[in-house]
Amino acid sequence: FRFKESLAEDLRRADLVISHAGAGSCLETLEKGKPLVVVINEKLMNNHQLELAKQLHRDGHVLYCNCSTLVETLQSMDLSTLKPFPPGQPEKFALFLDKVVGFQ
Amino acid sequence: TGGHTTEILRLLSCLSESYSPRHYIFADSDEMSEAKIRSFEQKRAETFSNSQFTLDRIPRSREVRQSWTSSVVTTLYSILYSLPLTYKLKPDLVLCNGPGTCVPVCISALLLGLLGIKRAIIVYVESICRVETLSLSGKILYYFSDYFIVQWPALKEKYPKSVYLGRIV
Repeated sequence: FRFKESLAEDLRRADLVISHAGAGSCLETLEKGKPLVVVINEKLMNNHQLELAKQLHRDGHVLYCNCSTLVETLQSMDLSTLKPFPPGQPEKFALFLDKVVGFQ
Repeated sequence: TGGHTTEILRLLSCLSESYSPRHYIFADSDEMSEAKIRSFEQKRAETFSNSQFTLDRIPRSREVRQSWTSSVVTTLYSILYSLPLTYKLKPDLVLCNGPGTCVPVCISALLLGLLGIKRAIIVYVESICRVETLSLSGKILYYFSDYFIVQWPALKEKYPKSVYLGRIV
């Protein structure tokens, strides 16, 4: 399972996702509109990986806890407080780049 | 590598066919990126005929958390390798988003510009994972890129020369 090529199918069927704070995992889950609980293990992780998880939490998109508080979080969580995560807009990048290189 | 490749392919997703041919450069130790790129390009070829792209590998400049001194050596080695490749490709535009691999390529492109051989526009997009601090590649290329794009407002504040377009991946 660790090296499954794609979690897309599992994500599609899930009602709740509990994940580490890796950016790919968080974003993939949020884009599929699934509620997400991010578990932080400060001992294992690079500090910078926490930045995204913290910001997503501040913006109300994910719930956030560490290993020892996970059970308590799952018991007391209210998923309706989570806000939907709007998709990124690569079209804005395309517009910007077109101007920069002179294709308009 | 991994997340960087996924992000950069999203950045490319809305670009017109004028951005052709596309030359992808990635680390020789990277096993998954080639498959992702081919899949992206295959899908693209369904919409745009005459879609052209190439793939090249260069030695990885630096492993995660590699020491400073050995990083300088491995990066220099990567530059020696990427210089002839960049010379061969003579890009008009270099687009990168943060893996160590991008630093030697950008340095090579800058050198080609300084030597009057080919002047490329260098565009750097910092990863969406970077909310408050820049990656090491970002810290270096903030000074050497023509356009430096960040995806969170806190970075725009800290790095005023950067461009903020919101989340673009």
